[in-house]
Amino acid sequence: MNRYHFEDMYMGMTESFQVTITEDKMLKFCEISGDVNPLHRDPVFARERGFDGQVVYGMLSSAFYSTLVGVYLPGENALLQELRIRMIRPVYIGDVLTVTGVVKDIREATKRIKIGASVVSEIGGGGVNEADITVGFTEMI
Amino acid sequence: MSREALLKAVNEVFWDVFDDESLDIREETTAADVNGWDSLRHITLIENIEDRFDIRFTMLEVNGMKNVGEMLDIIAERARE
Repeated sequence: MNRYHFEDMYMGMTESFQVTITEDKMLKFCEISGDVNPLHRDPVFARERGFDGQVVYGMLSSAFYSTLVGVYLPGENALLQELRIRMIRPVYIGDVLTVTGVVKDIREATKRIKIGASVVSEIGGGGVNEADITVGFTEMI
Repeated sequence: MSREALLKAVNEVFWDVFDDESLDIREETTAADVNGWDSLRHITLIENIEDRFDIRFTMLEVNGMKNVGEMLDIIAERARE
């Protein structure tokens, strides 16, 4: 886990990691969220609606923004304060996702940073969702 | 920008941040006068003011502001720089 402080931040600072979407992650997300919509659980239902298979929860692929902020950028000292997500295209089970965040703005007066983030799938090579994230910093009291 | 126009522009930022166009922000207004003006809303307000006027406050300035009038003083000063 990274332990960056506000003073370590610079424009363009970038962190990235990869994650694979598995059936187990889908089942756990379903259990936690209670979202039992068949689009995410029934491949026949999903195909009938024009998808290649059961669609991964958008909020599951977006959940890795929490990891991006809390583990990588800035890591341990992070306090996630705002997240605006744009869903671009569907993700399927087995997809390998690359989650990336870039520091786009640093606000000295409020000790917050703005991160431009994206989730990109190896399959198809395109972005599946993007986010603007605002992050503050915790300090030892 | 005149002081009056500045206050009007600041009012518009408040309306946006607090999602309340009935707010009548005056020079003597403080956080205690506005329902929902908590610490997180204050941070959002400061950043939106920075964006609106294309300025940057220092942390000392933010911590030292006692009312909206003092915020206007700093914005006006930045505009002259």
